[in-house]
Amino acid sequence: MKFFLNPSEFNRISNLLVKPLFILSFLTLTLGLIFALYLSPDDYQQGSTVRIMYVHVPSAWLALLTFMIMTIYSIIGLTFKTPFSFIVNSAIAPIGATFTFICLITGSLWGKPMWGTWWVWDARLTSVAVLFILYILIIFFKKSFHNIEVGEKITAIFIILGSINLPIIKFSVDWWNTLHQPASISKLSSPSIHLSMMIPLIIMTLAFTMIGLLIGIIRIKSEIAQRKQRI
Amino acid sequence: MLLVKNLSFYRNQKIIFENIDLSLSPNKIIHLKGSNGVGKTTLLKILTKGLQPQKGEIFWQGKNIFKNSSDYFQNLTYIMDINTSKKEMTVIENINFWKKLFSSKINSKELDSVLKILSIEKYENSLVSTLSKGEFRKLELCRLVIEQKKLWLLDEPYSDIDNESIELLSETFKNHIKSNGMIIFSSHHNPELQNTEVIEIKKNYETL
Amino acid sequence: MKLFNSILAVIYREFKLTFRNSYDILSILIFFILGILIFVFSIGPNKELLSQLSIGIVWTLLILATNLTFKKFYQEDLNDGNIYLLHISGISYEIIVIIKLFCLWIFFQLPFLIMIPVAFLLFGNNFENIYLVMEIFIISSLILTTLASISGAMNLLNNKNIALGSSIIMIFSIPIIIFSVSAINSSVELIQPQINILLGILFLFLAITPWISAFCIKIAISNK
Repeated sequence: MKFFLNPSEFNRISNLLVKPLFILSFLTLTLGLIFALYLSPDDYQQGSTVRIMYVHVPSAWLALLTFMIMTIYSIIGLTFKTPFSFIVNSAIAPIGATFTFICLITGSLWGKPMWGTWWVWDARLTSVAVLFILYILIIFFKKSFHNIEVGEKITAIFIILGSINLPIIKFSVDWWNTLHQPASISKLSSPSIHLSMMIPLIIMTLAFTMIGLLIGIIRIKSEIAQRKQRI
Repeated sequence: MLLVKNLSFYRNQKIIFENIDLSLSPNKIIHLKGSNGVGKTTLLKILTKGLQPQKGEIFWQGKNIFKNSSDYFQNLTYIMDINTSKKEMTVIENINFWKKLFSSKINSKELDSVLKILSIEKYENSLVSTLSKGEFRKLELCRLVIEQKKLWLLDEPYSDIDNESIELLSETFKNHIKSNGMIIFSSHHNPELQNTEVIEIKKNYETL
Repeated sequence: MKLFNSILAVIYREFKLTFRNSYDILSILIFFILGILIFVFSIGPNKELLSQLSIGIVWTLLILATNLTFKKFYQEDLNDGNIYLLHISGISYEIIVIIKLFCLWIFFQLPFLIMIPVAFLLFGNNFENIYLVMEIFIISSLILTTLASISGAMNLLNNKNIALGSSIIMIFSIPIIIFSVSAINSSVELIQPQINILLGILFLFLAITPWISAFCIKIAISNK
């Protein structure tokens, strides 16, 4: 528990985690890519281009996951006034921004052969674009204040307000029936996606999550070191 | 009636002041002294709940002001380092606003006499933007008389005003003390006042 | 009773100060008209095109005009110590926010509600249900005022970044625009539920804005 809230505990445990995470993410990424690029079948409609899905969906999932982690840490930071939460916020914001960017670009590359257009204004695309802008604004917010503590707290409020976007992204495909397909993986009904495509998807998601965690932990450590040096 | 125990305040990992104790009862004045930047304004801000101290407690008539502040604020006047009168309104409009805001029972005769004594009664109907810096400050000090509260907290009240008004202010302090009032003020001046406890805040170079 | 009198005194002072600065409001209205002119010149005098785009243009101008007003909420009162003075006189920060919301809505959003039918006239739009359209605009302008209050409170100590406050207002007004425009364009049966959604968003924002703005003001006061 202390790992999540205390910088020195975090440093100690994360030092043990970095090497195994690195190896694991390398392994899962390789495995996932093999599955995704060779062993999984072509889609009968889309052909080979469906393989972009194996990068697009995990990066989307990671973009949402990062924002969720930032929201939780913002709430903890504002209620309990732990400075570590704000350190985590400023460390993982660029990671989320990058994954959202990858999601948008791969989605656009996927959309051209599949729907004939680079971009369309459907509900999910627009809300993910808004998510990307939220990330950029969060990164700018912190730098706009002379006083770092003030900047952190106000960024935390902004993150909590912006977290409204997450349910909108998730449910926008159900509320507004436009271009995106409704969710194909849900716990309540049996998945409508075939097993041979689901396995590489899950492995790639795991791989991306581990890469994200790895980069996140490294960034948090460097952020802690930077703060110590400033004092 | 005002009790400050073990007050400590840190900012950016630096100790501003530590373990300050104050006690103020009626008919008493506390004069905060110290060089620039030592924390006098910070202490006054903490006393008016503008800042949260890291350690220590402040009690007004036995109640902790950080838990229950309405009674404390109803008995408190705070004159800050900045002047709060609005420049786009006239002097008398600002005064009427303060009267209504603090539900003051002062009557207009007393007000006129205050303005006269401070020699700003000729500006009664002119905009505050036409006043000089010292007259602007004197208008702010009128709030002490308008609000009619027991505890006065003042941040550098003797700066910016002329010698006449300095004596006037000391007179006002003395009269307030006689009628069971309490005053805490910070200043570099050394006015001659009775019943004064001088508290010198020393510069703290330690870090956490 | 005392609190009520103090609040009335503050509202009276706000009214007096805004009337003394009436050129402020008038220049925002001129900004609105100039915006319409710019849109007309950049799109061309094509009457059908303009009347189709009219709702979008009016919305854009409303949001841009709100962007200009967020500084007027708290910045000046923080700088001359008035927010602190009101706090010590017994008015809590949340009530200060509500007072400011009320006064600034009346002075900076209500004039637009008079200009908007004029704008629709200029664009050649005939709405049968003009009352419902105005109702939608009234609700949305209230929501925009709350957004401007949050943005104004967050930007109190921000001296470096000039566009940040506007970005906050614009990014949170996106869902509002989506709902209002779909309400205006929908058929008569569907319009009432959409207005109810907008009302729900309005009440949500009215509930959270005093809390959030007061929190940001407290941070600004302790770090001035």
